Amino acid sequence: MSLLNTLINPTQTERKPTLRPSYEITETETGYALTVFLPGVAKADLEVSDEEGNLRIAGKRSTPRPEKATVLHREISDYGYELVLAHDNTVDAGAITAELKDGVLALTLPKAESAKPRKIAIA
Amino acid sequence: MRYLRFTHPDSRSLEATAFGGRFGQTGLEDQIDWLFGTALNGFAGQARGGQIPVDLYQDKDNTYVRAELPGVTPDAINVEVVNGSLSIQASRKVKTATGEDTVAFSRQVALPNDVQAEKVTAAYENGILTVTLPVREEAKARKINISVN
Repeated sequence: MSLLNTLINPTQTERKPTLRPSYEITETETGYALTVFLPGVAKADLEVSDEEGNLRIAGKRSTPRPEKATVLHREISDYGYELVLAHDNTVDAGAITAELKDGVLALTLPKAESAKPRKIAIA
Repeated sequence: MRYLRFTHPDSRSLEATAFGGRFGQTGLEDQIDWLFGTALNGFAGQARGGQIPVDLYQDKDNTYVRAELPGVTPDAINVEVVNGSLSIQASRKVKTATGEDTVAFSRQVALPNDVQAEKVTAAYENGILTVTLPVREEAKARKINISVN
């Protein structure tokens, strides 16, 4: 029985399911602009990290449902958001800036100097 | 049980009701369409515009309508109660290569009769709009003591 329990509910996997938020990427001359839609996420519950070429955005929803209220109809999930985007060394990871406003995260990923177009003078 | 009806003007669900649906009048096809409709266009549609996903809650004093509206300024949100239905309209300005574009969202929710339309309040935080609709005093459940002789 205990074996069955560990199979059904293994304690190691405490990870809750997450949703992949919708996002948009646009490229400019100097970098990339990433817009991630994270409705219901407050600044304190948002984590943005960049590790080994993986940009990770994780957010928990902070709008609790009204207390003692009955649910009539639901279309919005309670699950948090998680988005992992891999990038190569064309992005200057140290210079990434992020701004969260009204549930929309705007990230600026500047291109690394080596990835910018260069004009080569011919001798 | 009191419940809120909601309209979802989706071509597929309209077809299903108009022709009775493949499963007769059981509404199963509608339900499946609704399920896929919300799963596919409800969330991804947020970037492109369209129907706003909503949650409906009710407690003894209020009915709550919660809507996902990321990236919309409060000025661009319009909440109206007309003929017993709540209408939410919003628009978001999106920068494009050629300039600025406006993406519009809307949603209609039919309300129960016992809502005080003049006392509706709305709050917007973190991209979530919460509309609070108070229930009319006379519609609230009252406890009546009956004396037994």
